[in-house]
Amino acid sequence: MLQLLKVTGESLSPLYKEGDFVVITTLPFFLRRLRQGNIIVFQHGLYGTLIKIVERVLLDEDAVYVIGANEDSLDSRRLGPISRAAIKGRVLWHIAKPTH
Amino acid sequence: MFYQIFEALDKKFGVERAQAHCDIPCGIYDPITAQIAALSVVRMMDLMAEAEAKGHDNHLAFINSMARYIAVKEEHAEKAKHEVRVIWGDYIKPEHIAKHPELHELVFKIMKLGSKVRQTADRQTGLDFVEAVNKFAEIFWDTKGIAVKKAKAPYAPALEMVYPNL
Repeated sequence: MLQLLKVTGESLSPLYKEGDFVVITTLPFFLRRLRQGNIIVFQHGLYGTLIKIVERVLLDEDAVYVIGANEDSLDSRRLGPISRAAIKGRVLWHIAKPTH
Repeated sequence: MFYQIFEALDKKFGVERAQAHCDIPCGIYDPITAQIAALSVVRMMDLMAEAEAKGHDNHLAFINSMARYIAVKEEHAEKAKHEVRVIWGDYIKPEHIAKHPELHELVFKIMKLGSKVRQTADRQTGLDFVEAVNKFAEIFWDTKGIAVKKAKAPYAPALEMVYPNL
């Protein structure tokens, strides 16, 4: 239902930074109601567990397009659409790493 | 406080990582996606013209096919615009503009043509769209110092396309 994960990498910077924690919900209720701007965690065959922003929801393909928060982000331009089956959860709570 | 608690949990039990992955080693950009999308627009226009020319005894089937062609045309016109915007906004640097001062105007033209091909079924507008996106590809590859070649697409509509000569 809930899972704690730690963020690595900077593709969501400055929103989410290396070392931040997130709590995701894995409940289908939340995953069926994805919207543009939601932060999701999903499984990718090549890159493992990724965290990205939903750019848009493709209703007819039952998938979403994802983006990062900066220009060098690995996103759906290379990953393609992310199927709902690959989505592990949606971020409910972001715990930022203290800056000092 | 919560951070310290979760950090302690991580140290003790090991929390799963979620990677906010960046491109390795840097952005990968290629105008071919935009070119194929533009080509698809012309293909849809051709299919629409063919369907119209055949006549439509079965009106329902005709409308259904036409709706699908138009939906794909809409989608690919926007896709081509999106891909061009990404390269233009994320990859193009001031030095590229200095070498190709016509680039901003060309991108503007692509945006306008990309909208116009959605409004019309006029094939010439589609051809203009493909030509403009090909010109954009030519400039893109020049910024990489890669020569281009022109060849007909190996599928309908077999329009002349710009490819990197690798």
